[in-house]
Amino acid sequence: MVRVIVNGAKSGSGARQEKPLSADMAVVNQTAIRQAAAGWLAALPPTLRRMVSESLGQRIGELEEIRLRIERPLLLRLAQTELTIDRENRLCGELSRGYVITQADLEQTLEVLSRGSLYAWEDEFKNGYLTVPGGHRVGFAGRGVLEKGVIRTIREIAGFNYRIGHEIPGCADRLLPYLLKGREVYHTLIVSPPQCGKTTLLRDLVRQISDGEKQLGFAGANVGLVDERSELAGVYHGRPQFKIGLRTDVLDACPKAQGIMMLIRSMSPQVVATDEIGRPEDVEAILAAQSSGVSVITTLHGRDVDEIWDRPYLQDLGKLRIFQRIVVLSRRKGAGTIEAVYDGKTLAVLNKG
Amino acid sequence: MVKVIGALMIVGGCGYCGLRIAAVYERRAETLRIMQNALTLLETEISYTATPLAQALERVAGKLNGDCRLLFLKAAELIGAGDGRPASEAWEAGLETLNKLVPFSAEEKSILLLFGRGLGNSLKEEQLKNIALAKVQLRGVERSAVEAREKNKKMWQYMGFCMGMVVVLLLL
Repeated sequence: MVRVIVNGAKSGSGARQEKPLSADMAVVNQTAIRQAAAGWLAALPPTLRRMVSESLGQRIGELEEIRLRIERPLLLRLAQTELTIDRENRLCGELSRGYVITQADLEQTLEVLSRGSLYAWEDEFKNGYLTVPGGHRVGFAGRGVLEKGVIRTIREIAGFNYRIGHEIPGCADRLLPYLLKGREVYHTLIVSPPQCGKTTLLRDLVRQISDGEKQLGFAGANVGLVDERSELAGVYHGRPQFKIGLRTDVLDACPKAQGIMMLIRSMSPQVVATDEIGRPEDVEAILAAQSSGVSVITTLHGRDVDEIWDRPYLQDLGKLRIFQRIVVLSRRKGAGTIEAVYDGKTLAVLNKG
Repeated sequence: MVKVIGALMIVGGCGYCGLRIAAVYERRAETLRIMQNALTLLETEISYTATPLAQALERVAGKLNGDCRLLFLKAAELIGAGDGRPASEAWEAGLETLNKLVPFSAEEKSILLLFGRGLGNSLKEEQLKNIALAKVQLRGVERSAVEAREKNKKMWQYMGFCMGMVVVLLLL
Protein backbone atom coordinates (compact mmCIF):
# COMPACT_ATOMS: atom_id res chain seq x y z
CA MET A 1 0.00 0.00 0.00
CA VAL A 2 1.39 3.37 -0.98
CA ARG A 3 1.28 5.87 1.83
CA VAL A 4 1.57 9.40 0.54
CA ILE A 5 1.41 11.45 3.65
CA VAL A 6 0.72 15.10 3.08
CA ASN A 7 0.71 16.45 6.56
CA GLY A 8 -0.60 19.98 6.84
CA ALA A 9 2.05 21.25 9.24
CA LYS A 10 4.98 19.89 7.26
CA SER A 11 4.10 20.53 3.67
CA GLY A 12 1.56 23.25 3.06
CA SER A 13 -0.18 23.18 -0.28
CA GLY A 14 0.50 26.62 -1.69
CA ALA A 15 -1.88 29.44 -1.00
CA ARG A 16 -4.44 27.47 0.94
CA GLN A 17 -4.07 27.59 4.67
CA GLU A 18 -3.12 24.33 6.26
CA LYS A 19 -4.45 24.12 9.76
CA PRO A 20 -6.51 21.49 11.49
CA LEU A 21 -10.16 21.55 10.54
CA SER A 22 -11.17 21.93 14.16
CA ALA A 23 -9.34 25.24 14.38
CA ASP A 24 -11.26 26.52 11.36
CA MET A 25 -14.42 25.63 13.14
CA ALA A 26 -13.46 27.68 16.20
CA VAL A 27 -12.63 30.86 14.29
CA VAL A 28 -16.06 32.33 13.84
CA ASN A 29 -16.69 35.67 15.47
CA GLN A 30 -19.06 36.23 18.35
CA THR A 31 -21.65 38.40 16.60
CA ALA A 32 -22.05 35.83 13.88
CA ILE A 33 -22.44 33.17 16.55
CA ARG A 34 -25.13 35.20 18.33
CA GLN A 35 -26.91 35.75 15.06
CA ALA A 36 -26.85 32.07 14.25
CA ALA A 37 -28.13 31.27 17.73
CA ALA A 38 -31.13 33.58 17.39
CA GLY A 39 -33.02 30.99 15.33
CA TRP A 40 -32.94 28.18 17.83
CA LEU A 41 -33.22 30.49 20.84
CA ALA A 42 -36.51 31.76 19.46
CA ALA A 43 -37.70 28.15 19.27
CA LEU A 44 -37.33 27.74 23.04
CA PRO A 45 -40.04 28.93 25.44
CA PRO A 46 -39.18 32.26 27.14
CA THR A 47 -38.08 30.87 30.51
CA LEU A 48 -35.76 28.26 29.05
CA ARG A 49 -34.58 30.73 26.41
CA ARG A 50 -33.41 33.11 29.12
CA MET A 51 -31.78 30.36 31.18
CA VAL A 52 -29.85 28.88 28.28
CA SER A 53 -28.79 32.19 26.80
CA GLU A 54 -27.64 33.71 30.12
CA SER A 55 -25.88 30.66 31.48
CA LEU A 56 -23.98 29.97 28.27
CA GLY A 57 -22.90 33.55 27.65
CA GLN A 58 -19.85 33.53 25.39
CA ARG A 59 -19.92 29.76 25.03
CA ILE A 60 -23.20 29.78 23.13
CA GLY A 61 -21.39 28.92 19.91
CA GLU A 62 -20.08 25.67 21.37
CA LEU A 63 -23.55 24.30 22.04
CA GLU A 64 -24.40 21.22 20.02
CA GLU A 65 -27.50 19.82 21.66
CA ILE A 66 -30.17 20.73 24.18
CA ARG A 67 -32.14 17.90 25.78
CA LEU A 68 -35.44 18.46 27.51
CA ARG A 69 -36.76 15.30 29.15
CA ILE A 70 -39.75 15.31 31.45
CA GLU A 71 -38.90 15.32 35.16
CA ARG A 72 -35.20 15.05 34.43
CA PRO A 73 -32.56 17.75 34.40
CA LEU A 74 -32.09 19.93 31.36
CA LEU A 75 -28.94 18.88 29.53
CA LEU A 76 -26.67 20.91 27.29
CA ARG A 77 -24.02 19.21 25.25
CA LEU A 78 -20.95 21.26 24.36
CA ALA A 79 -18.34 19.35 22.43
CA GLN A 80 -17.52 16.35 24.61
CA THR A 81 -19.05 17.50 27.88
CA GLU A 82 -22.59 17.42 29.11
CA LEU A 83 -23.69 20.22 31.42
CA THR A 84 -26.84 21.36 33.09
CA ILE A 85 -28.02 24.68 34.51
CA ASP A 86 -28.29 25.02 38.29
CA ARG A 87 -30.61 27.19 40.40
CA GLU A 88 -28.29 30.18 40.21
CA ASN A 89 -28.48 30.02 36.43
CA ARG A 90 -24.90 28.82 36.04
CA LEU A 91 -23.53 25.98 33.97
CA CYS A 92 -22.92 23.00 36.18
CA GLY A 93 -21.35 19.62 35.57
CA GLU A 94 -23.13 17.87 38.39
CA LEU A 95 -26.29 16.85 36.59
CA SER A 96 -28.33 16.07 39.71
CA ARG A 97 -28.22 19.75 40.71
CA GLY A 98 -29.67 20.91 37.42
CA TYR A 99 -32.99 22.48 36.59
CA VAL A 100 -35.66 19.79 36.25
CA ILE A 101 -37.89 19.99 33.22
CA THR A 102 -41.61 20.10 34.07
CA GLN A 103 -44.70 19.15 32.11
CA ALA A 104 -45.46 22.86 31.76
CA ASP A 105 -42.05 23.48 30.19
CA LEU A 106 -42.71 20.82 27.58
CA GLU A 107 -46.18 22.14 26.84
CA GLN A 108 -44.83 25.64 26.36
CA THR A 109 -42.06 24.30 24.17
CA LEU A 110 -44.60 22.58 21.98
CA GLU A 111 -46.65 25.76 21.71
CA VAL A 112 -43.60 27.77 20.68
CA LEU A 113 -42.36 25.15 18.24
CA SER A 114 -45.70 24.63 16.55
CA ARG A 115 -46.48 28.33 16.87
CA GLY A 116 -49.82 27.35 18.32
CA SER A 117 -50.72 25.36 15.20
CA LEU A 118 -50.06 21.64 15.40
CA TYR A 119 -52.14 21.03 12.27
CA ALA A 120 -49.63 23.00 10.23
CA TRP A 121 -46.85 20.48 10.93
CA GLU A 122 -48.63 17.17 10.48
CA ASP A 123 -45.96 15.61 8.31
CA GLU A 124 -43.23 16.79 10.62
CA PHE A 125 -44.98 15.20 13.58
CA LYS A 126 -45.29 11.97 11.67
CA ASN A 127 -41.53 12.01 11.11
CA GLY A 128 -40.70 13.04 14.66
CA TYR A 129 -38.87 16.28 14.04
CA LEU A 130 -39.30 19.89 12.99
CA THR A 131 -36.91 22.28 11.34
CA VAL A 132 -36.80 25.72 12.92
CA PRO A 133 -35.57 29.03 11.46
CA GLY A 134 -31.81 28.90 11.06
CA GLY A 135 -31.98 25.31 9.83
CA HIS A 136 -31.71 23.67 13.25
CA ARG A 137 -33.61 20.53 13.98
CA VAL A 138 -35.79 19.66 16.93
CA GLY A 139 -36.65 16.02 17.45
CA PHE A 140 -39.21 14.76 19.90
CA ALA A 141 -40.36 11.60 21.58
CA GLY A 142 -43.67 10.73 23.17
CA ARG A 143 -46.58 8.38 22.70
CA GLY A 144 -47.25 7.34 19.14
CA VAL A 145 -50.77 7.50 17.73
CA LEU A 146 -51.26 4.81 15.14
CA GLU A 147 -53.58 4.58 12.22
CA LYS A 148 -53.62 1.32 10.31
CA GLY A 149 -50.33 0.40 11.92
CA VAL A 150 -48.52 3.51 10.74
CA ILE A 151 -47.53 6.35 13.06
CA ARG A 152 -49.97 9.17 12.49
CA THR A 153 -48.64 11.57 15.04
CA ILE A 154 -46.89 11.84 18.41
CA ARG A 155 -48.91 12.83 21.46
CA GLU A 156 -48.00 13.38 25.09
CA ILE A 157 -44.58 14.56 24.14
CA ALA A 158 -42.09 13.68 26.86
CA GLY A 159 -38.83 14.91 25.45
CA PHE A 160 -37.25 17.30 22.97
CA ASN A 161 -33.82 17.26 21.43
CA TYR A 162 -32.58 20.48 19.88
CA ARG A 163 -29.78 19.75 17.45
CA ILE A 164 -27.95 22.94 16.70
CA GLY A 165 -26.80 23.01 13.11
CA HIS A 166 -23.42 24.64 12.62
CA GLU A 167 -22.47 26.46 9.51
CA ILE A 168 -18.75 26.85 9.17
CA PRO A 169 -17.94 28.32 5.79
CA GLY A 170 -14.47 27.22 4.84
CA CYS A 171 -14.35 24.04 6.88
CA ALA A 172 -14.00 22.03 3.67
CA ASP A 173 -11.20 24.23 2.29
CA ARG A 174 -8.50 21.76 3.10
CA LEU A 175 -10.41 18.77 1.82
CA LEU A 176 -11.64 20.13 -1.49
CA PRO A 177 -8.38 19.82 -3.46
CA TYR A 178 -8.41 16.06 -2.91
CA LEU A 179 -11.89 15.70 -4.34
CA LEU A 180 -11.39 17.54 -7.61
CA LYS A 181 -9.81 16.37 -10.81
CA GLY A 182 -9.86 19.17 -13.34
CA ARG A 183 -13.51 19.91 -13.94
CA GLU A 184 -14.59 16.60 -12.48
CA VAL A 185 -15.63 15.88 -8.93
CA TYR A 186 -14.73 12.46 -7.56
CA HIS A 187 -17.35 10.10 -6.16
CA THR A 188 -16.76 10.74 -2.49
CA LEU A 189 -17.77 9.00 0.69
CA ILE A 190 -17.39 10.71 4.07
CA VAL A 191 -17.15 8.17 6.88
CA SER A 192 -17.59 9.33 10.43
CA PRO A 193 -18.98 8.39 13.82
CA PRO A 194 -21.94 10.51 14.97
CA GLN A 195 -21.29 14.09 16.16
CA CYS A 196 -18.05 14.51 14.22
CA GLY A 197 -19.18 17.25 11.90
CA LYS A 198 -20.15 15.08 8.95
CA THR A 199 -23.15 17.16 7.98
CA THR A 200 -21.35 20.46 8.50
CA LEU A 201 -18.48 19.31 6.31
CA LEU A 202 -20.76 18.00 3.57
CA ARG A 203 -22.69 21.27 3.58
CA ASP A 204 -19.55 23.30 3.06
CA LEU A 205 -18.31 20.94 0.36
CA VAL A 206 -21.59 21.37 -1.48
CA ARG A 207 -21.32 25.13 -1.19
CA GLN A 208 -17.78 25.25 -2.54
CA ILE A 209 -18.39 22.82 -5.37
CA SER A 210 -21.51 24.74 -6.31
CA ASP A 211 -19.92 28.19 -6.16
CA GLY A 212 -16.62 27.07 -7.66
CA GLU A 213 -13.18 27.72 -6.24
CA LYS A 214 -10.98 30.11 -8.19
CA GLN A 215 -7.76 29.18 -6.41
CA LEU A 216 -8.19 25.60 -7.56
CA GLY A 217 -9.32 26.62 -11.02
CA PHE A 218 -12.67 24.96 -10.45
CA ALA A 219 -15.51 26.85 -12.10
CA GLY A 220 -18.37 25.38 -10.12
CA ALA A 221 -20.91 22.70 -10.95
CA ASN A 222 -24.63 22.15 -10.69
CA VAL A 223 -25.27 20.31 -7.48
CA GLY A 224 -28.44 18.42 -6.63
CA LEU A 225 -28.92 18.09 -2.91
CA VAL A 226 -31.32 15.48 -1.55
CA ASP A 227 -32.01 16.58 1.98
CA GLU A 228 -34.14 13.81 3.42
CA ARG A 229 -33.93 15.01 7.02
CA SER A 230 -33.84 18.74 6.27
CA GLU A 231 -30.45 18.99 7.94
CA LEU A 232 -28.10 19.90 5.12
CA ALA A 233 -29.86 22.92 3.72
CA GLY A 234 -32.19 23.45 6.69
CA VAL A 235 -35.05 24.46 4.42
CA TYR A 236 -37.67 26.44 6.32
CA HIS A 237 -40.74 27.61 4.41
CA GLY A 238 -39.06 26.82 1.12
CA ARG A 239 -35.87 28.78 1.79
CA PRO A 240 -32.55 27.12 2.57
CA GLN A 241 -31.32 28.52 5.87
CA PHE A 242 -27.69 27.64 5.20
CA LYS A 243 -25.39 28.79 2.45
CA ILE A 244 -25.42 25.93 0.01
CA GLY A 245 -24.06 27.61 -3.09
CA LEU A 246 -25.47 29.35 -6.11
CA ARG A 247 -25.76 26.28 -8.34
CA THR A 248 -27.48 24.02 -5.83
CA ASP A 249 -31.00 22.64 -6.14
CA VAL A 250 -32.48 21.17 -2.98
CA LEU A 251 -35.06 18.42 -2.79
CA ASP A 252 -36.19 18.83 0.77
CA ALA A 253 -37.64 16.00 2.86
CA CYS A 254 -37.49 13.54 -0.06
CA PRO A 255 -36.42 9.94 0.43
CA LYS A 256 -32.83 9.71 -0.77
CA ALA A 257 -33.17 7.08 -3.48
CA GLN A 258 -36.25 8.62 -5.09
CA GLY A 259 -34.78 12.08 -4.68
CA ILE A 260 -31.53 11.18 -6.44
CA MET A 261 -33.37 9.68 -9.41
CA MET A 262 -35.72 12.62 -9.60
CA LEU A 263 -32.90 15.17 -9.58
CA ILE A 264 -30.99 13.30 -12.27
CA ARG A 265 -34.07 13.27 -14.47
CA SER A 266 -35.21 16.81 -13.83
CA MET A 267 -32.34 19.10 -12.90
CA SER A 268 -29.34 17.62 -14.76
CA PRO A 269 -26.87 17.97 -11.90
CA GLN A 270 -23.15 17.22 -12.30
CA VAL A 271 -22.93 16.30 -8.65
CA VAL A 272 -25.53 14.76 -6.36
CA ALA A 273 -25.05 15.08 -2.62
CA THR A 274 -26.95 13.36 0.13
CA ASP A 275 -26.53 12.42 3.77
CA GLU A 276 -26.24 9.03 5.46
CA ILE A 277 -26.85 6.25 3.02
CA GLY A 278 -27.68 2.78 4.24
CA ARG A 279 -30.76 1.28 2.62
CA PRO A 280 -30.62 -1.06 -0.37
CA GLU A 281 -32.46 1.41 -2.59
CA ASP A 282 -29.87 4.08 -1.74
CA VAL A 283 -27.18 1.82 -3.17
CA GLU A 284 -29.18 1.28 -6.34
CA ALA A 285 -29.70 5.00 -6.77
CA ILE A 286 -25.97 5.65 -6.32
CA LEU A 287 -25.13 3.05 -8.95
CA ALA A 288 -27.68 4.61 -11.28
CA ALA A 289 -26.25 8.06 -10.71
CA GLN A 290 -22.77 6.76 -11.45
CA SER A 291 -23.83 5.12 -14.67
CA SER A 292 -25.45 8.34 -15.84
CA GLY A 293 -22.20 10.19 -15.25
CA VAL A 294 -23.21 12.10 -12.16
CA SER A 295 -20.74 12.32 -9.28
CA VAL A 296 -22.06 11.32 -5.89
CA ILE A 297 -20.96 12.78 -2.56
CA THR A 298 -22.43 11.12 0.45
CA THR A 299 -21.81 10.18 4.07
CA LEU A 300 -21.92 7.04 6.13
CA HIS A 301 -21.83 6.23 9.85
CA GLY A 302 -18.63 4.39 10.67
CA ARG A 303 -15.18 4.61 12.21
CA ASP A 304 -12.82 3.44 9.52
CA VAL A 305 -12.66 2.21 5.95
CA ASP A 306 -12.07 -1.40 7.04
CA GLU A 307 -15.41 -1.88 8.70
CA ILE A 308 -17.85 -0.03 6.47
CA TRP A 309 -18.21 -2.54 3.66
CA ASP A 310 -19.32 -5.30 6.03
CA ARG A 311 -22.67 -3.59 6.48
CA PRO A 312 -25.75 -5.13 4.99
CA TYR A 313 -26.49 -3.81 1.49
CA LEU A 314 -23.21 -1.94 1.20
CA GLN A 315 -21.05 -4.85 -0.02
CA ASP A 316 -21.85 -4.02 -3.62
CA LEU A 317 -20.53 -0.53 -3.25
CA GLY A 318 -17.39 -1.91 -1.66
CA LYS A 319 -16.84 -4.60 -4.27
CA LEU A 320 -17.35 -2.25 -7.17
CA ARG A 321 -15.18 0.40 -5.53
CA ILE A 322 -17.58 3.06 -6.61
CA PHE A 323 -16.17 5.77 -4.44
CA GLN A 324 -12.96 7.32 -5.67
CA ARG A 325 -12.30 9.20 -2.46
CA ILE A 326 -13.07 8.14 1.09
CA VAL A 327 -12.72 10.70 3.87
CA VAL A 328 -12.65 9.56 7.50
CA LEU A 329 -13.57 12.00 10.26
CA SER A 330 -13.20 11.89 14.03
CA ARG A 331 -13.36 14.18 17.04
CA ARG A 332 -9.71 13.75 17.97
CA LYS A 333 -8.94 17.47 17.67
CA GLY A 334 -12.52 18.62 17.99
CA ALA A 335 -15.49 18.07 15.69
CA GLY A 336 -14.52 17.78 12.05
CA THR A 337 -10.99 16.42 12.46
CA ILE A 338 -10.01 14.77 9.18
CA GLU A 339 -8.36 11.49 10.10
CA ALA A 340 -7.44 10.53 6.57
CA VAL A 341 -8.33 10.89 2.92
CA TYR A 342 -8.10 7.61 1.01
CA ASP A 343 -8.01 6.84 -2.65
CA GLY A 344 -11.10 4.67 -2.92
CA LYS A 345 -9.62 2.33 -5.57
CA THR A 346 -6.23 1.59 -4.05
CA LEU A 347 -6.98 2.58 -0.46
CA ALA A 348 -3.80 4.63 -0.51
CA VAL A 349 -3.77 7.36 2.10
CA LEU A 350 -3.70 10.72 0.36
CA ASN A 351 -3.78 12.82 3.48
CA LYS A 352 -3.41 12.02 7.11
CA GLY A 353 -4.82 14.65 9.47
CA MET B 1 -89.16 77.83 27.87
CA VAL B 2 -86.98 76.04 30.43
CA LYS B 3 -89.69 73.44 30.81
CA VAL B 4 -89.76 72.77 27.08
CA ILE B 5 -86.01 72.34 26.93
CA GLY B 6 -86.10 70.04 29.96
CA ALA B 7 -88.90 67.99 28.44
CA LEU B 8 -87.02 67.65 25.15
CA MET B 9 -83.89 66.56 26.98
CA ILE B 10 -85.74 63.88 28.90
CA VAL B 11 -87.49 62.56 25.79
CA GLY B 12 -84.20 62.71 23.82
CA GLY B 13 -82.21 60.96 26.52
CA CYS B 14 -84.70 58.16 27.02
CA GLY B 15 -85.09 57.79 23.27
CA TYR B 16 -81.35 57.51 22.84
CA CYS B 17 -81.14 54.81 25.49
CA GLY B 18 -83.86 52.90 23.71
CA LEU B 19 -82.02 53.15 20.39
CA ARG B 20 -78.80 51.93 22.02
CA ILE B 21 -80.53 48.87 23.40
CA ALA B 22 -82.12 48.20 20.01
CA ALA B 23 -78.70 48.53 18.36
CA VAL B 24 -77.24 45.91 20.67
CA TYR B 25 -79.73 43.31 19.39
CA GLU B 26 -78.80 44.21 15.85
CA ARG B 27 -75.10 44.03 16.61
CA ARG B 28 -75.24 40.65 18.29
CA ALA B 29 -77.09 39.03 15.43
CA GLU B 30 -74.74 40.62 12.92
CA THR B 31 -71.61 39.53 14.82
CA LEU B 32 -72.82 35.96 15.09
CA ARG B 33 -73.46 35.91 11.35
CA ILE B 34 -70.04 37.32 10.49
CA MET B 35 -68.40 34.93 12.95
CA GLN B 36 -69.70 32.01 10.91
CA ASN B 37 -68.23 33.48 7.75
CA ALA B 38 -64.98 34.01 9.56
CA LEU B 39 -64.85 30.39 10.64
CA THR B 40 -65.45 29.32 7.05
CA LEU B 41 -62.49 31.43 5.99
CA LEU B 42 -60.37 29.92 8.76
CA GLU B 43 -61.45 26.47 7.63
CA THR B 44 -60.10 27.20 4.17
CA GLU B 45 -56.79 28.44 5.56
CA ILE B 46 -56.38 25.33 7.67
CA SER B 47 -57.59 22.70 5.26
CA TYR B 48 -55.97 23.85 2.01
CA THR B 49 -52.80 25.63 2.95
CA ALA B 50 -52.24 24.54 6.58
CA THR B 51 -51.27 28.13 7.35
CA PRO B 52 -49.95 28.53 10.90
CA LEU B 53 -52.52 30.05 13.20
CA ALA B 54 -51.07 33.53 13.70
CA GLN B 55 -50.94 34.11 9.97
CA ALA B 56 -54.26 32.39 9.30
CA LEU B 57 -56.12 34.49 11.88
CA GLU B 58 -54.55 37.65 10.53
CA ARG B 59 -55.58 36.80 6.99
CA VAL B 60 -59.11 36.07 8.13
CA ALA B 61 -59.21 39.40 10.00
CA GLY B 62 -58.13 41.13 6.81
CA LYS B 63 -61.20 39.83 4.99
CA LEU B 64 -63.69 40.73 7.69
CA ASN B 65 -65.52 43.88 8.48
CA GLY B 66 -67.28 44.59 11.69
CA ASP B 67 -66.34 43.87 15.24
CA CYS B 68 -65.18 40.27 14.71
CA ARG B 69 -61.95 41.63 13.29
CA LEU B 70 -60.88 42.64 16.77
CA LEU B 71 -61.03 39.10 18.11
CA PHE B 72 -59.00 37.70 15.24
CA LEU B 73 -56.42 40.47 15.27
CA LYS B 74 -55.88 40.26 19.01
CA ALA B 75 -55.56 36.47 18.96
CA ALA B 76 -53.17 36.59 15.97
CA GLU B 77 -51.01 39.15 17.72
CA LEU B 78 -50.75 37.11 20.92
CA ILE B 79 -49.99 33.85 19.16
CA GLY B 80 -47.47 35.55 16.89
CA ALA B 81 -45.55 36.82 19.92
CA GLY B 82 -44.11 33.33 20.32
CA ASP B 83 -43.92 33.35 24.11
CA GLY B 84 -45.40 29.92 24.66
CA ARG B 85 -48.91 31.09 25.39
CA PRO B 86 -51.43 28.48 24.24
CA ALA B 87 -53.63 29.47 21.31
CA SER B 88 -56.73 28.94 23.48
CA GLU B 89 -55.61 31.71 25.85
CA ALA B 90 -54.93 34.05 22.97
CA TRP B 91 -58.40 33.35 21.60
CA GLU B 92 -59.92 33.97 25.04
CA ALA B 93 -58.16 37.33 25.29
CA GLY B 94 -59.48 38.22 21.84
CA LEU B 95 -62.96 37.17 22.87
CA GLU B 96 -62.80 39.42 25.93
CA THR B 97 -61.92 42.37 23.71
CA LEU B 98 -64.87 41.62 21.47
CA ASN B 99 -67.21 41.01 24.38
CA LYS B 100 -66.67 44.56 25.57
CA LEU B 101 -68.28 45.82 22.38
CA VAL B 102 -70.82 43.07 21.79
CA PRO B 103 -72.51 41.70 24.90
CA PHE B 104 -72.83 38.01 24.12
CA SER B 105 -75.23 35.80 26.01
CA ALA B 106 -73.72 33.14 28.26
CA GLU B 107 -74.50 30.48 25.67
CA GLU B 108 -72.88 32.35 22.80
CA LYS B 109 -69.81 33.01 24.87
CA SER B 110 -69.45 29.40 25.92
CA ILE B 111 -69.65 28.25 22.30
CA LEU B 112 -66.85 30.60 21.32
CA LEU B 113 -64.75 29.70 24.36
CA LEU B 114 -65.15 25.99 23.73
CA PHE B 115 -64.12 26.51 20.12
CA GLY B 116 -61.03 28.36 21.31
CA ARG B 117 -59.98 25.49 23.58
CA GLY B 118 -59.62 23.25 20.56
CA LEU B 119 -57.88 25.85 18.46
CA GLY B 120 -54.49 24.88 17.08
CA ASN B 121 -53.76 21.98 19.39
CA SER B 122 -54.70 19.05 17.18
CA LEU B 123 -54.30 17.69 13.68
CA LYS B 124 -56.08 19.09 10.66
CA GLU B 125 -58.99 16.69 10.76
CA GLU B 126 -59.87 17.54 14.35
CA GLN B 127 -59.42 21.23 13.67
CA LEU B 128 -61.94 21.05 10.87
CA LYS B 129 -64.39 19.13 13.07
CA ASN B 130 -64.01 21.74 15.77
CA ILE B 131 -64.76 24.51 13.29
CA ALA B 132 -67.74 22.67 11.84
CA LEU B 133 -69.18 22.11 15.31
CA ALA B 134 -68.77 25.76 16.27
CA LYS B 135 -70.44 26.82 13.02
CA VAL B 136 -73.46 24.63 13.63
CA GLN B 137 -73.82 25.92 17.17
CA LEU B 138 -73.38 29.52 16.05
CA ARG B 139 -76.09 29.08 13.44
CA GLY B 140 -78.42 27.98 16.24
CA VAL B 141 -77.73 30.96 18.47
CA GLU B 142 -77.79 33.31 15.52
CA ARG B 143 -81.33 32.18 14.79
CA SER B 144 -82.44 32.99 18.31
CA ALA B 145 -80.51 36.26 18.22
CA VAL B 146 -82.35 37.20 15.02
CA GLU B 147 -85.69 36.29 16.61
CA ALA B 148 -84.88 38.39 19.66
CA ARG B 149 -83.90 41.23 17.36
CA GLU B 150 -87.16 41.06 15.43
CA LYS B 151 -89.10 41.05 18.65
CA ASN B 152 -87.20 43.67 20.60
CA LYS B 153 -85.52 46.04 18.18
CA LYS B 154 -88.65 47.90 17.06
CA MET B 155 -90.00 47.84 20.58
CA TRP B 156 -86.93 49.47 22.11
CA GLN B 157 -86.69 51.99 19.31
CA TYR B 158 -90.14 53.33 20.25
CA MET B 159 -90.13 52.44 23.89
CA GLY B 160 -87.34 54.86 24.81
CA PHE B 161 -89.22 57.84 23.40
CA CYS B 162 -92.52 56.70 24.89
CA MET B 163 -90.97 56.31 28.33
CA GLY B 164 -89.48 59.77 28.01
CA MET B 165 -92.88 61.21 27.17
CA VAL B 166 -94.52 59.42 30.08
CA VAL B 167 -91.93 60.87 32.44
CA VAL B 168 -92.49 64.33 30.99
CA LEU B 169 -96.27 64.00 31.39
CA LEU B 170 -95.86 62.85 34.97
CA LEU B 171 -93.59 65.76 35.78
CA LEU B 172 -95.84 68.36 34.17
